[in-house]
Amino acid sequence: MSTSIVSIRDVVKEYHLGATVVPALRGVSLEVTQGEFISIAGPSGSGKTTLLNLIGCVDTATRGVVEVAGKDTGKLTERALTDLRLHTIGFIFQSFNLVSVLTLFQNVELPLLLQGKKTAAERKQKVMSLLEQVGLASHAKHRPSELSGGQRQRVAVARALVTDPLLVLADEPTANLDSATGAQIIDLMKALNQQKGTTFIFSTHDHRVMQHANAVVRIADGKVLGRETPKEAVAHALGVEAAPAQPSVPA
Amino acid sequence: MIARFLILVQMALRNLVGSPINLLVGLLIFGGSFFFVWVGAVAESVNDGMAKTVVASMTGDGQLYSKTAKDELALLGGGMGGDGDVGVMTNFATIASELEKVPNVRGVVPMGVGSAFVASGNIVDVTMERLRGLYRALDGKSDDPVYSKLSKEELRVTIDAQKAHLRQIIKVLESDASKSKEILEEKAIDQDALEAREKVGRDEFWARFDDDVLGNLEFLENRIAPQVSDAQMLFLRYMGTDLAKFQENFDRMYIVKGTAVPKGQRGYLVTEFMHEEMMKLKNARRLDKLKIAHEEGRLIAKDDELKRFVKENRSQTRDIELQLDAKQTDEAVAKLEALLQLPEEKSLPALLEKFFDTDDQNLEARHAWFYQELAPMLELYKVRVGDMLPIKAFTKAGYMQSVNVKVYGTFAFKGFEKSPMSGSLSLMDMQTFRDLYGYLTQEKLDELKSIQKLSGSKVVTRENAEAELFGDDATLEIEATAQAIDTDKQLSGEGRKTKMEDLLTRVYTQQEIDDGVVLNAAILMKDPSQAPQTLAAIEKVSEQKQLGFKTATWQQAAGMLGNLILVFRFVLFGAVSLIFFVAAIIITSSLVMAMLQRTQMIGTLRAIGAHRAFVLSMVFHETLVLGALFGGGGIVAGALAASVTRFKAFNDASHFLFSGPVLEVQSSPGNLVIAGILVVIVSMLSTLIPALIATGVSPLRAMQSDE
Repeated sequence: MSTSIVSIRDVVKEYHLGATVVPALRGVSLEVTQGEFISIAGPSGSGKTTLLNLIGCVDTATRGVVEVAGKDTGKLTERALTDLRLHTIGFIFQSFNLVSVLTLFQNVELPLLLQGKKTAAERKQKVMSLLEQVGLASHAKHRPSELSGGQRQRVAVARALVTDPLLVLADEPTANLDSATGAQIIDLMKALNQQKGTTFIFSTHDHRVMQHANAVVRIADGKVLGRETPKEAVAHALGVEAAPAQPSVPA
Repeated sequence: MIARFLILVQMALRNLVGSPINLLVGLLIFGGSFFFVWVGAVAESVNDGMAKTVVASMTGDGQLYSKTAKDELALLGGGMGGDGDVGVMTNFATIASELEKVPNVRGVVPMGVGSAFVASGNIVDVTMERLRGLYRALDGKSDDPVYSKLSKEELRVTIDAQKAHLRQIIKVLESDASKSKEILEEKAIDQDALEAREKVGRDEFWARFDDDVLGNLEFLENRIAPQVSDAQMLFLRYMGTDLAKFQENFDRMYIVKGTAVPKGQRGYLVTEFMHEEMMKLKNARRLDKLKIAHEEGRLIAKDDELKRFVKENRSQTRDIELQLDAKQTDEAVAKLEALLQLPEEKSLPALLEKFFDTDDQNLEARHAWFYQELAPMLELYKVRVGDMLPIKAFTKAGYMQSVNVKVYGTFAFKGFEKSPMSGSLSLMDMQTFRDLYGYLTQEKLDELKSIQKLSGSKVVTRENAEAELFGDDATLEIEATAQAIDTDKQLSGEGRKTKMEDLLTRVYTQQEIDDGVVLNAAILMKDPSQAPQTLAAIEKVSEQKQLGFKTATWQQAAGMLGNLILVFRFVLFGAVSLIFFVAAIIITSSLVMAMLQRTQMIGTLRAIGAHRAFVLSMVFHETLVLGALFGGGGIVAGALAASVTRFKAFNDASHFLFSGPVLEVQSSPGNLVIAGILVVIVSMLSTLIPALIATGVSPLRAMQSDE
C-alpha cells in the first residue's frame, strides 16, 4: 500500500498588500503518495509556486492543514521546519540558485555539511556518486559560472538529492532552459525517481514537460481543478477537449 | 565542524574577492588600523619621549614627600600655577638610609623646588656702578680688588671711558626720542625726560661732572636710567638638591660650560637651554638659531619663522647699541662699513640693520663675522659663568630672603639638550635652597628666641597683628632702648658659623647636607618597570618605621605635565574613537548593501536547511576574514611605517614635544594588540545590523526570481 508523503486539506493562503487581501490558494486539497512523479500545472499566477512553498515548508498556510512526511507543518516551530527541509525535502529552483562562490562539489556537499552527520570520506563518496549520475563528475572543481544553464540545473538536482530526501520539489525547473535541455533535466529527474523511489513534485506550464509526469495536478485561480493524466493535461494545455478532470481524491 | 568552518572561511574569502563593496570595507579597515597604529605609535613616542625627559631630568622613577602636605607634589607647576604647599621632611638622612635597603632602589636624591625673580641690571645702572667704584678708588676708598690696583692715571682713563659710554647711551636715547617725536603728539612727550636728556646731552654737564660727582651720578640714576628699558626680570625656577648625588643618580646630566659645583659647596648651575634661550643677547641667539636651521636644510627664503628672526634682528639692535661705548661704537661702525662696503654710512643702527639683513647666501659668513668681530665687545649673556647671582625669593614664612650664589656653570641632559622641559629647572645646592625657603631649624628657632628676648620683641602672627598693634587691650608695650649689640657674644650655633665663615667657600659635610629640611626626594630604581611594586614597598617602610612621607609616581609628581600627558591620551583616544565610529558606520552601511545584494543566496541556504545560526556565523566569518586580512595588514603596515618614521624637530614647540632634536617613532606591542582588539570590536559591531538583516531573510526569497 502506498504511503502518503504530502497531505493537504482545505488550505487557504492569503497575502496582504496593505489593506487588500489577495487570495493565492482558495481551499486546496491534495494527496501525494511516496514515489510519485507529479506535475503541478497551470498558468502564471494560478498558485503553483504558492502550493509548492507550502509543501516545501518555506511558507505557512493561512488556514487548513499541510502535512509533510506525516508532520503538520502548521504546528512546527521555525527551527523544526528548517530541520524538516534539511532532512526530508530537496529543492530544485527555477534559477538554479547555486552558491556562486563554491565549486560544484561544495555546492552539492553543502546540505550534508549542514546535516553534519557524515564523515568527509562519506560525503565525498556520496557527492561524487551523484555528480557521476548527473554527468558532471569531471567538473567537480568548477564554479557554477563556468557551466551552462542545463549543467547548473543538473548540479541543482544532485544537491537536492544528496541528503536522500523523501520528497523533491522543483519550481519550474525547465523555465530557464531550452526545450532539449529541459527534456534532459526532466529525464534525469524521472530516472532518479525510478532508481531511488524519491517523490518528485514539480510545477510547470510547459505541456512538453507535463507529459513526462505520472500525473498532473491542474490548478487555476488558486483552486485545484483535479488530477489528470499527462495526455489529458497536454490536451488541456493545447486547448483540445479531452476527458473532464477528475476531482482530487486522496490516494 | 572543521569542514563547516573551512567552507565558511572559503565562502567569506571568495565573497571578499568577488565583491567590490567588501573590498571597500576592507580598505576602510586597513586604513583605520594603519592610522591607529601609526598615529598611535607617534603619539606614544611623543608621550614616552616626554616621560623619559621628565624621569631622567627631574622626577626620577618616583617621588616622596611629606604625608602632611596640603597640596599634591607638582615639580613642573601645579594646576593653578605656583608651587603648592607640599610640607617638609626633616628626617631625610633616616629616610635615605631606610630606603636604600629596599631591593629595587638605586638612589634617593633630596630636592626642593622654588622660584624667584632676578633683576638683570639696567645698562646705565651697571655703568654707573662702575663709575662709583672708580671714583671711590680715585679717593683711595675702594675695596674692589681690581680697581684698587689701578694707578690714578689708569683710573682717570677708565673713568673717561665709562663716561663716554654713558654719553653714547644718551645719544641712543636721543635718537629713540627723535624717532618717537615723529609719531607722538606734542602732549604725549614727557617734558621732564626731555629736559633731563637735554641737560646730560650738553658738553658742559660732562666738563663739570667732577665738580659734583655724587650729585651728577644721582641725577643720572634718577632721571636717565629710568628712560633706558633694557633691564629684564629673569624668572628662575630652581631645584635645590644634593648636587653631587643628583649628578651621580641622574646620569644623563653633564656640564656644558664652566664646572660642576665643588662637592659640598654652595653654588648654582643654570640649564644650558635657559642660558642660551633666555639669558643670551637676543641678536646673537637669533643668529645662532638661523645658522642651526640653515644647517638643517631650512631656507630663510622659504621659512616664515626664519624670516621673522631676520626681521627681529634687523629692527631690535638697541641692546647692542647700548652696550657699546663711544670708542667701541666707532670701532664697530668702521668694521661694519668695511664689511658691508658702505663707506658713507656712519649710523650704527643703520649699519646693524643692514648687517642683520641675513639671507641664505650670507648667513654663514655673517654669523662667523659677528662672533669674531662684534661679540668680543659685547656682553653676550645676562648671567655669566662665574657671576654672583643675587636671588631674592619669598620664603614660606612670607618675608623676602636674599642670597648671593655663584654660578659655576651650565648643564644639560644628554639627548634632551633642546628640550625646554628638561631645561626648565636650574640647580642649586641644598643649603642655599634652605636659606631661600626660610625653614627654621630648631637650632635657628632657639637662636631667634634668644635674640627676641634680648631685644624685647615678641612674635605677632599676621592674624593678630592688628589687634596687637592697635587694639584697646594691646599688651605690646615696648620701650626702645638704644644699646650696642655684641653679635659675637649673642649669636651662637648656626648664626655664628654663618657670620664667621665665608659661606661661598665653606664645604658642607654630607651630614649637614642631609640633615636639613627637604621638600621632596627622587627615587631612582634599578628596574623602573617595577616602579609600582617598589613604590608600594617604600610606602610600607614609611608606615612601619613611621617616617612620615608618602610616595608619588613620576606622572603625579610632574604636575601639570602629567595632566597634559593624560589630556593628550584622552584626545588621542577621542580621535581614534571618532575615526572608528565613522568607519563603523561606513562599514555597516556597506555590509548592509552587500547583504541586500545576496538575499537570494541566503534565502536558498535557508531553504535547503541552513539554520539562522549558520547564516549568522557566515556573516561573522566574512567580517572576521575581512578584519583579519585587512586589519592585520593595516596593523603590520602601520608598524612598519612607524619603524621607519623619523621626525626632525622644526621649531621650539616640536623640540618640546619630541623631547629633543629627533623623534624616533616606535610602536609598542601593546599598541598593536589594542589595534587588533579594536579591529575585531569594530568589525563585529559593524556586522550586527547586516547580520540581523541576513538572519531575517526568509527561505521564501529563494523561490523568487531576480530576473
